[in-house]
Amino acid sequence: MKKKHVRTQQPEIDRRTFLTALGWIGVGLSAAVAALGNLLYLKPAVDYGPPTLIRAGKPDEYKEGIKEVLENDRIAIVRDKKGFAAISVTCTHLGCTVRTSDAGFECPCHGSQFDNDGLVTGGPAPRPLDWYQVSVAPNGELEIDKSVKVTPGTFFTM
Amino acid sequence: MREVNTKHVFPQDPNKTYGLMELMKGTKPTVGLQPDDMVFTWPHLLIRELVLFAIVVAGLLVAAFLFDAPLEEIANPNHPPNPAKAPWYFLGLQELVSYSAFVGGVLIPTLIVIGLMLIPFIDRKKIGIGKWFAKERALANGLFLTFLLVMGALIILGTYFRGANWSFVVPWE
Amino acid sequence: MATSQASTTLSLKEKAIAFFNTLYRALFRYGKMPQDAEGQSYAVFNNLFLHIHSVKVSKHSLRFTYTFGLGIIATCLFLVLVFTGVWLMFYYFPSATEAYNRMLDLRSSVDFGFVLRNIHKWAAELMVVFVILHMARVFFTGAYKPPREFNWVIGVLLLLLTFGLSFTGYLLPWDQLAFWAITVGTSIAGYAPVLGEPIRKFLLGADVVGQEALVRFYVLHVVILPGLLSIFLAIHFWRIRKDGGLSHPNENETPVKGTAQ
Repeated sequence: MKKKHVRTQQPEIDRRTFLTALGWIGVGLSAAVAALGNLLYLKPAVDYGPPTLIRAGKPDEYKEGIKEVLENDRIAIVRDKKGFAAISVTCTHLGCTVRTSDAGFECPCHGSQFDNDGLVTGGPAPRPLDWYQVSVAPNGELEIDKSVKVTPGTFFTM
Repeated sequence: MREVNTKHVFPQDPNKTYGLMELMKGTKPTVGLQPDDMVFTWPHLLIRELVLFAIVVAGLLVAAFLFDAPLEEIANPNHPPNPAKAPWYFLGLQELVSYSAFVGGVLIPTLIVIGLMLIPFIDRKKIGIGKWFAKERALANGLFLTFLLVMGALIILGTYFRGANWSFVVPWE
Repeated sequence: MATSQASTTLSLKEKAIAFFNTLYRALFRYGKMPQDAEGQSYAVFNNLFLHIHSVKVSKHSLRFTYTFGLGIIATCLFLVLVFTGVWLMFYYFPSATEAYNRMLDLRSSVDFGFVLRNIHKWAAELMVVFVILHMARVFFTGAYKPPREFNWVIGVLLLLLTFGLSFTGYLLPWDQLAFWAITVGTSIAGYAPVLGEPIRKFLLGADVVGQEALVRFYVLHVVILPGLLSIFLAIHFWRIRKDGGLSHPNENETPVKGTAQ
């Protein structure tokens, strides 16, 4: 065989392999983009859940040292010397609704216990109850924003 | 026998009940040449399937008339039952979740599923096939039986021995 | 009778019978119960629904004490569930305010409504049981060994789909049992690292179990999961054939010795 037609350096991949690979990459990317689109479509974009902004009445309606549970909003309004707080009554363990007790809160489902500040004192709950931001609406009512969590112990003062 | 360098056009698998052996001209399949331990699907298998189906349907009908499916009060997000229990087949997991939500609810189930899927790729030796509790497979069977018994025990524990606040109760008291 | 003259003088009744015979043969091809080997082969081979079977099966696989019919029972339960499920859809409405009322109506007003609901419920519970028992049978008889590895994996997927179907169906009556079981169940999913909370939101469509969760579980329960299960079931059955029918002792590398050994 004459050697003059033999290339000294063979390309690592030939054209056919390259184009085939390119084609498959295109198919793969298209499929990935389509899958992503479908997933994004299913991702809840509009919040059809319960409202996050809650008007909880005038501050004077709450006496000091009590925990008033607003059942439908799943929060407890706590009034303390320091001010107001809104503590979630959804157990951080598995989402049951906690009940108020003398010591604080307790979950009937799996026995988690929380103190008056929502800190875990017993049971399987992994973290304290959520605290939500409290403010005063223009009409003088307390307004709780359930989309904003604050660190436990942050009281709102008038 | 004549030694011929044959290469089968259609690979023959001894496990298969039939397969493409060769192509020949003819008007009907060659029947009656199979090994003796084979029987016709129709009627032998199909009759059995039909009978089983009839028994299943009959059993369900009887059960449906005798036992009502449970229906509690309408869902009320404010009043969780005490204790709140997942469906029975998840109660073993819920029992584990009561110790640690991540380990019991995520880690262990994931490991179980991956483990189950990997079983046939780990245990590949072709021994003890087609026989209940074959002696050759005592270890594998023992492990799997233990696994099933543990899961069953957890489910029974979660179903009958867990009362208010998920505390231990004895069902017959 | 076979002469051409006779055929032109067929009575109307004979013509009608001949026509219906033709029609019947067009539909069923093999009219009589086949008694000979050829007919019995064709009965399976030429029928779409029987074609999931091979023409012949080993006697070993027919022994009741080998399989206890567990897989077939699970399949029967699935068929019953599809049937009763579709029937229940005529009355069910996936609405947080309406669903529970429909349950009460099914129980008290709709003729045989309670029967369909009860069958659906008990068949669902039994399907979970029998799928697990079937898996145990396959394990204890070593039936997942090569070449059946892949079918075992499909089987695990079918088990997961069965759980998924049962779990999504659990919410639909919208009673206390349903609500809190799903609250607890989806909260468990929320513990998975990174993906947990998005998955929970994805399933519920909101932060808490409510109307959105009901619609999502409904769609999963009546369309997506049964569809997936049917596809994997078809693959499962197909693989049984491709892997040479049910497992039997002849496949062992060293033959199983008799009791004399």
